[in-house]
Amino acid sequence: MSDEERVEDLLRGLAPQVLGALVRRHSAFDLCEDAVQDALVDAAKQWPTGGIPDNPRAWLTTVATRRLVDRVRSDHSRRQREERVLVGSPQAEFMTALDEEAVQDRDDSLILLLICCHPALSPPTQIALTLRAVGGLTTAEIAGAFFVPETTMAQRISRAKQGIRDAGATFSIPPPSDMESRIRAVLHVLYLIFNEGYTTSSGDEITRTDLTHEAIRLTRQLHTLRPDDAEVKGLLALMLLTEARRPARVDAAGRLVDLADQDRDLWNHSLIEEGVHLVTDALEQGSPGAYQIQAAIAAIHDEAEDPDDTDWPQILLLYQLLDRLAPNPMATLNRSLALALVEGPQAGLDLLATLDYDKRVASHHRLFAIRGQLLEMAGDQAGAREAFETAARRCTSLPERAYLQDRACATRRRK
Amino acid sequence: MKYITIIYGNKDLWQSFTPDEAAGAIAEVDAFNRRYKESGELLGAYGLGDELTAKTVRVRDGVPAVTDGPYIDAKEFVSSFFLLDVESEERALDIAADYPFASHNAVEVWPILHESGAEM
Repeated sequence: MSDEERVEDLLRGLAPQVLGALVRRHSAFDLCEDAVQDALVDAAKQWPTGGIPDNPRAWLTTVATRRLVDRVRSDHSRRQREERVLVGSPQAEFMTALDEEAVQDRDDSLILLLICCHPALSPPTQIALTLRAVGGLTTAEIAGAFFVPETTMAQRISRAKQGIRDAGATFSIPPPSDMESRIRAVLHVLYLIFNEGYTTSSGDEITRTDLTHEAIRLTRQLHTLRPDDAEVKGLLALMLLTEARRPARVDAAGRLVDLADQDRDLWNHSLIEEGVHLVTDALEQGSPGAYQIQAAIAAIHDEAEDPDDTDWPQILLLYQLLDRLAPNPMATLNRSLALALVEGPQAGLDLLATLDYDKRVASHHRLFAIRGQLLEMAGDQAGAREAFETAARRCTSLPERAYLQDRACATRRRK
Repeated sequence: MKYITIIYGNKDLWQSFTPDEAAGAIAEVDAFNRRYKESGELLGAYGLGDELTAKTVRVRDGVPAVTDGPYIDAKEFVSSFFLLDVESEERALDIAADYPFASHNAVEVWPILHESGAEM
């Protein structure tokens, strides 16, 4: 690791702690976030050549606090802002390093996550803000991950901060009655970040490992903050068990490889082991949730040494449970595949037909892709080809589209 | 001068390619994009989804109505476009002629007269 990379790594870890300490004292999230970004820029400039200070966090907190004061003083609506930020904090406090206890850090990181995933914000803004304020990614890195110009992402982040101010989100642990739903919102944002990384919704690259790694890192962090939360374990397990298959998911030519055709030796077995352990542990707590069940399904796939060894009856049971626990047409889609493998293609096709009038999935490419697969199993090659062709045309990811076109062509050869 | 170059196609054309031909065509387009990105003349190239995924929006009496499919009812649809910044129209036409799909279908070249909001 070069000096610059070491500094970058260190800063990424410290950024949310420093932001947490500042927001806890001065509450104005938007101004504190700007001040921390200023301090990070200063550190990135000075540390690689001047050396890393003995107490990097205290250094950052002091500089960020000074920058906050500068920002408040130079602001247009100076007086109002000064009142908002300075009331309740003796002036002297701004100039001393605010080194806090470790236990405080844990709460700070959690509150930061809760603020960034505040229900008043839209999912894209929640994602952008989480990656920046908690993940410590720069605006340019986030913009790059989502293929948008940096100015577009900067606007999105600034709207997010505005949204937080408007929503009056406070820097405190929500009351127990709200805690559960707020944590669910955080999990959903982390899940979306992972999914965007694993199956990019557009463009020609199938995975964005920077995003999947960041999602896993943040979920690990949340797991240390909430070690007894079974759904946090479930989500972390789901990510690890999915990420484990990534090396085999695309062939040398960049084409998507179906789960059944993947080279299972390429799977990351230490991730699988960790994921299986986590999900087993979570399920033993006896409060199953949607992430735990999806992780359990992923674990069954991952533990089969050969695709033919896959325990489909068990997967079907889990999908039924998932459908009952968190009804969702995407889960029904996947269940129809499991059903076909257990009871035969017609049973799967019948279940699939129930989704034809469900607006959420009726025109989704995955519905047609699974129908193609089931028709192929039933021996209807012409029907399968038509379904795969429609799936390809409806798909907006290039690698997935190419994969579906290949499947359509393959049915021709089989006729 | 900036130009937009529009490539049309339809389902039958795309499905007439075998997977290998399709992969070859994609590689040719990638090489084309690299060539003119390096010369600084290609501002951006964009491939679009199938016409099945296009939507048309109309606002009537202040109420937006969204319908499935493209605005123009035709057999061929826009499948991709790219933006050029070149010294002359002649140069834009040369580049258009170099585009791999110009030998399958036609490639349309339009001058751009006005632009705003882009980060370039």
